[in-house]
Amino acid sequence: MINAHLILKKVVFYVLILITWQLIYLSNLLPELVLPSPSQVGESMIIMITNGSLAYALGTSFMRLAIGLVISVTIGFTLGYYMTKHRILYDTFGSLVLGLQSIPSIAWVPLSIIWFGINDMSIIFVIIASTIFSVIITTYTGIRNVPTLYIKAATNMGAKGFVLMYEVIIPAALPYLISGLRQAWSFAWRGLISAEMLITILGLGFLLITARNVYDMPQVISVMIIIMTIGLVVDGFIFSRIENKVATRYGIR
Amino acid sequence: MAKLELRNVSKFFNHHNNSIKTLNNINLQIEDGEFVCLVGPSGCGKSTLLNIVAGLEKPDEGEVILDGKTVNGTNPDRLVVFQEGALFPWLNVIDNVEFGLKIAGIDKEKRRERALHYLRLMQLDKFADSYIYQLSIGMRQRVAIARALVMDPEVLLMDEPFAALDAQTRDLLVVELQLLWQKTRKTIIFVTHSIAESVCLGDRVIIFTHRPASIKKEFKIDYRRPRLMEDPEINKYASNILDALKSEVIAAMKEENK
Repeated sequence: MINAHLILKKVVFYVLILITWQLIYLSNLLPELVLPSPSQVGESMIIMITNGSLAYALGTSFMRLAIGLVISVTIGFTLGYYMTKHRILYDTFGSLVLGLQSIPSIAWVPLSIIWFGINDMSIIFVIIASTIFSVIITTYTGIRNVPTLYIKAATNMGAKGFVLMYEVIIPAALPYLISGLRQAWSFAWRGLISAEMLITILGLGFLLITARNVYDMPQVISVMIIIMTIGLVVDGFIFSRIENKVATRYGIR
Repeated sequence: MAKLELRNVSKFFNHHNNSIKTLNNINLQIEDGEFVCLVGPSGCGKSTLLNIVAGLEKPDEGEVILDGKTVNGTNPDRLVVFQEGALFPWLNVIDNVEFGLKIAGIDKEKRRERALHYLRLMQLDKFADSYIYQLSIGMRQRVAIARALVMDPEVLLMDEPFAALDAQTRDLLVVELQLLWQKTRKTIIFVTHSIAESVCLGDRVIIFTHRPASIKKEFKIDYRRPRLMEDPEINKYASNILDALKSEVIAAMKEENK
């Protein structure tokens, strides 16, 4: 639902931030290196857009993100599913997964560089490592929480094995699987930027760290704004919309 | 030969390492096209018995015989309509009704046609594309009945399907179910704790004792259809049965207060 009043409040808020920022800049309290003006940041963003460096960086980053997430979700889902099937897997492997999940994504970078070197593969590995464990856990929880009534009804109508899994268990676990995916996305996004800043070959994180290396503060800020905006759009618009829709349909709210 | 026969069915369940008997030597014969109601105090094991007939649970002793053959496991020839409907929220109404046919591998066109037929029968064809959350509980139960009937089961098993409904909706559905039964002549086993409901619906009302459940008494209800819940004749039948059941309810209450 589009709410004009809400939009107005937001616009006014962000305009106020820009005005305050501009005023601080004009007051000369901070050196230009520390705080560039909004227009300098805007200019830097326009340059990145027009010379194609932003598009190239985004393309590179999203390619890595997509590959990493696809691998992580595929393997993570399969492992999570088998953990619901075999108690022994949950008791043994499950505890390790819980531990590994608590490692911040950036802590995977040194290991990844030593294993794979400075290349795309090591960045993709960081994305996989920082997401797969939460995918395993949400898949496990989601499938375990499928109401037995659905399974009873479906079994009664003749569903079993793969058909039961595909037609009932996965769709029934969907609310969990989607919030798992949402969490995986946000871990992947953070992991990606951290990895690209340390394993510096192209991408959005690379754009950020090279700007810092030449003290190009407008570009540092504009890349940060882009990172924030993408995070916001994917999480706040795409995922939260899907989640709300699913929640309504499943009668969760 | 009876359509469905329960022969010496007993069931135990484990409670703190004690084996407790829930069903005690149930013998029951149900004729083809008969509408039988099972009534008993709550928690007496009627639903367990229904699950056993459905093959969702195994009896510890005895057997269930359908058309002369001992049943083994669950099969769409004995379909349950659950108290909570158990419809799938990720499917719309018509896809829910088609579910069993899809599992059976019937092609898209044919199953749509059959599903629509039963939706029309339940006066729900206008809601074919709705999702479950958009329906009232009464409508959901009608979809659940359509979903079971579309499979053309040998026996329809109904596990307190009207228990969650408000009184008006329930009274309507009680009439609707009778009309439906008169049209389809399905063999129906209907579990309820409401005596009035059972008298209104059943050709036969079978009263169960408190745990371990066994058959206490059965009543033949020989009265014109469709019967209405508010009919004084129905109330007369009901109060007779209530007298028979009273001692069981008291026994159940005493047990719970221990």
